[in-house]
Amino acid sequence: MSDDAPRLEGPLPPAALDDPHLQPYAKHPERAQAVAAVAMVVGFLGFIGFGVAYWVGDSAQWEAVTLGGGLLALGFGVTAWGKYLMPQGPFEEERHEFHSTEAEREAMTAAVTERGGMVLRRRKLLGGLFALGSTAMGIVLLFPLLRSLGPKPGNTLFETNWTKNSQLVTVDGRPIHVDDLAVGGVLTVFPRGYTGSSQDQVILIRLAQLGPLDPPLVINPPGRTDWGVQGYVAYSKMCTHLGCPVGLYQEQTQQLVCPCHQSIFNVLSGAIPEFGPAPRPLPQLPLTADSAGNLRSQSGFNQAVGPGFWERP
Amino acid sequence: MRRLFRARYAAPAALVGCVAIVGLIAFSPSATLADAAPTTTLPVLTTTATTTTPIAQPTQSVSGALNYAAPSNQTGLFYAQLPQAFIAPGEALFAANCASCHGPAALGTGRAPNLQGLGAGTVDFWVSTGRMPLANSSVQATRKPPRFNRLQTLEIAAWVQSLTPGQGTQVPIVNTNNADLEAGNALFTLNCAACHTITGAGDALPGGAYAPSLHLATPVQAVEAIRSGPGNMPHFSVGNITNTEARDIAAYVDGVIQHQDNRGGFGLGGIGPVGEGFVALLIGVGALMLVCFWIGDRT
Amino acid sequence: MIDKTIDRSLRWLDDRLGIAKGGRTFLDKIFPDHWSFMLGEIALYSFVVLLATGVFVSLYYIPSAHEIVYHGSYIPLRGQRVSEAYASSVGLSFDVKSGLLMRQAHHWAANIFLGSIAVHMARVFFTGAFRKPREFNWIVGVSMLILGIVNGFLGYSLPDDLVSGTGIRIAYSIIESIPLVGSYLGTFLFGGNYPGNGIIIPRFYILHVLIVPLLIIGLLAAHLGLLVKQKHTQFGGKGKTEHNVVGTPMFPTFIAKTTGFLFMTTAVLFLLGGLAQINPIWQFGQYQPYQISYAVQPDWYMGWLDGALRIMPSWEWVGWGHTIALEVFLPAVIFPGLIFNIFIVWPFIESRHTKDLAYHNLLDRPRDRPLRTAVGVAMLTLLFMVFFASSDDVLANFFQVPLVAVLWFFRIAVVIAPVIAAVVAYKICNEMRAAEGVGKRKRPQIVTRSSTGEYSTTDAEPRPGDGVEELDAIPVPTYIDLVPPELATGVGVRRVMR
Repeated sequence: MSDDAPRLEGPLPPAALDDPHLQPYAKHPERAQAVAAVAMVVGFLGFIGFGVAYWVGDSAQWEAVTLGGGLLALGFGVTAWGKYLMPQGPFEEERHEFHSTEAEREAMTAAVTERGGMVLRRRKLLGGLFALGSTAMGIVLLFPLLRSLGPKPGNTLFETNWTKNSQLVTVDGRPIHVDDLAVGGVLTVFPRGYTGSSQDQVILIRLAQLGPLDPPLVINPPGRTDWGVQGYVAYSKMCTHLGCPVGLYQEQTQQLVCPCHQSIFNVLSGAIPEFGPAPRPLPQLPLTADSAGNLRSQSGFNQAVGPGFWERP
Repeated sequence: MRRLFRARYAAPAALVGCVAIVGLIAFSPSATLADAAPTTTLPVLTTTATTTTPIAQPTQSVSGALNYAAPSNQTGLFYAQLPQAFIAPGEALFAANCASCHGPAALGTGRAPNLQGLGAGTVDFWVSTGRMPLANSSVQATRKPPRFNRLQTLEIAAWVQSLTPGQGTQVPIVNTNNADLEAGNALFTLNCAACHTITGAGDALPGGAYAPSLHLATPVQAVEAIRSGPGNMPHFSVGNITNTEARDIAAYVDGVIQHQDNRGGFGLGGIGPVGEGFVALLIGVGALMLVCFWIGDRT
Repeated sequence: MIDKTIDRSLRWLDDRLGIAKGGRTFLDKIFPDHWSFMLGEIALYSFVVLLATGVFVSLYYIPSAHEIVYHGSYIPLRGQRVSEAYASSVGLSFDVKSGLLMRQAHHWAANIFLGSIAVHMARVFFTGAFRKPREFNWIVGVSMLILGIVNGFLGYSLPDDLVSGTGIRIAYSIIESIPLVGSYLGTFLFGGNYPGNGIIIPRFYILHVLIVPLLIIGLLAAHLGLLVKQKHTQFGGKGKTEHNVVGTPMFPTFIAKTTGFLFMTTAVLFLLGGLAQINPIWQFGQYQPYQISYAVQPDWYMGWLDGALRIMPSWEWVGWGHTIALEVFLPAVIFPGLIFNIFIVWPFIESRHTKDLAYHNLLDRPRDRPLRTAVGVAMLTLLFMVFFASSDDVLANFFQVPLVAVLWFFRIAVVIAPVIAAVVAYKICNEMRAAEGVGKRKRPQIVTRSSTGEYSTTDAEPRPGDGVEELDAIPVPTYIDLVPPELATGVGVRRVMR
């Protein structure tokens, strides 16, 4: 606008320097300036200190105090400068409604409907085919985007490496003799050859001295009377809630507890959940002992281990 | 002077205060709970033990914990035969302090369990951690300063052991000097962290019980707990955790858990994101909101 | 002299970019001064620190699940088999100078970034700043919150330590709980059934350092662009109307204050970064799927989801040969989905309910909108309850109460507490509206005792905000006469403020 506007001779008269809007907020600007100046010097020294702290040693504490202190002081100084020494107004600014004029809006609508309608209404076939093509493109692009990421689950969610006669070993691969654990003892075990596997982790507990299982002690679920041996029972260590290792065994109350979300399983009666979000008992591994007295599994698990999923029957 | 306290300075002053407090905490020498641990009465045991038994020469380890120089023992852990001379005074102490609940022959009463067959190590654990004699009948005995000194404790243990010789958990002698901290770390994570937490801070268990903090446990107490499984704790036998492994765990508890490498600053109790969240929201966001309050208009 | 140089440079730029008019308008732009309008700045500057420290730590972190033997300086780990991701994270902390400070400042910045977003969002909600024309900016903000939470979780997972590994395990099971497609999504994403083939760490890494930050940056630009275009809201008060903005100009006052605030935010993050230890991964050790620590919680911004999982009853649905893990799917997928969708559609729900289609540039006092305030308080109470439920074990241990009792308390409180809080908030709003002058700052009075023993009171010196002797707002003294050309007698340059 300035090019077309008539120019005035000379500058406009200056705004009054003593206008109260242009005065600093501080009543004593010199004092405020002194405070800001001191803060900025402290900030400067802080950064120098950080340099020294970095050079001298390896202390995150000194680095934090020097760098953080420097930043704090410098930031305080700048803020104080702005807050106390710069014009505080109040100033105002008009808001302009940012919607366009009615004519502009109508023209926009018309541009879309008239011109677009002209094209689309006359060439419905092309419009439909374009929509079809782009939809197909969207769908097939999902294949590389999603399908390439990894394998299908297949049977992996149902299977473990526990089979008939798998030998129980510790995480170090040591076999477990029936005399190894004391009553009230607990041990994380794996099938031989698969130590450390998430899906195969099993918690082995010795509940009694003799067995299969001490009848008055254990309320065996039907069909599981011979699943323990010499007072040992074994359950999948994967929580049926979210798959955390159920590593917390309370010996007196004979409960397994999941440390993640505090589901509580009763070890004496097939690890049924007594409290918490876990919906199902921990699957039990049937045990036996071989002629050397080492613990082995009678078979694999009779169900999928771990949390629930759609395909689980 | 009054100007200093005007509202406009309050917010920055409070911020500086917060920072100063955090700083003081972070820089203070690591005042762990261990400082409050009762000191064991070493000299008494030294004189008695050396005159009556050939076993251990007590020495002071760097951390001040009670250790023995184990004779020609590579695992760093073996079990002491308590001196015969301990039995008689132990019987007197038991009769005066324990028999009212556990019965004169330690066979237990309706109020307290049978102690026969548990072994000296079990008794030593309960008495030396102050859990026995029981203060009140809560769900779980709590750790407190022990009633008896080291010698008295071992005397009581020796008497209980004498009732069933050779049975139960023995009092271990733990030499952590050549312990494998890496093995102790791995074993602790697998066997202990699920209850005591990875930092040894302890946590609540169902049924009103709790896994206690390990920050005061001595290596001897750690091994006794592993072997005897006090309260809700499982029993770990030698076939489960070998003597060498138990020694490594005790060394990890004594050397790492109790002297955590908190070189990142104040450890916030070692309870993970709960403590961190409170600091982030209350101190972090809180302090910055105070700064906003100072900078901005407050009408 | 310097003025000449500046003039020449600006002319050079204006010839090529035409920035004089827009630039000058930008420098004159008015920002309202209220302290609560700076809460979003905490988030903005935390994000700046996140980017800066993130670049630093990314130079040392190795996103690989490949197993190696640890040989760094932390003795209790030496000789252990760990992943490269874990080893490099510990190495970054112990064997890179200033590495620990940067890593911890990065983590604190993430916690505070999301904390300040929550506080900022509460301010926007309770003052009605989301109303027309700012619905888009509200949605953009909610989207950034979601992305921030996602990226926080991704970053938290990268060190591959025991605590974060447990979090990834839980995330896998949550994905697995989605009906029909869950198991497929899980194995696709992880490269097989959990723990997968090691691809998850590199995938999380590229999401964490590139894809999600880019989305956040884009949304942030939109957030600030809309703020500039639509201008900031303001509280009512002397001279403040729907048609103006009253405050201080961008240059120099606002720039100075906000620059100072950037420094001070950074200061707090770095002070925490070196003084308050966060996520000491060397104490946690390498994650193994069969190991677990008690007292594991996610970072605070995930706590509400973890809490919902903890208090959920064990409602699994089984039938027709299929299983729906409702005990996971409801609290971990449906619940957050519902919450975020309520956030997103709230502006439209409210305008439909109030039939209010007008522009709103003046903010509400929360008490003047008791229903909205009550809804907001109920939502906050609900979220706080599930949030606290995620530390049930720590609370039970701290207060020495039974764990199951704590869980039952939260199961009940999650339903009842929001209702009670809403009713109380509603009543308080009405009480406050009924009593004139509640919450207003009292003007102090000075009591003087005269020599004859009589007492008299006078008003103390007015302070800013007392509403007395306040100036009327004036336009920023611009350097150009903005009278419309047809009325102008001329255009010239006005000189002030040297």
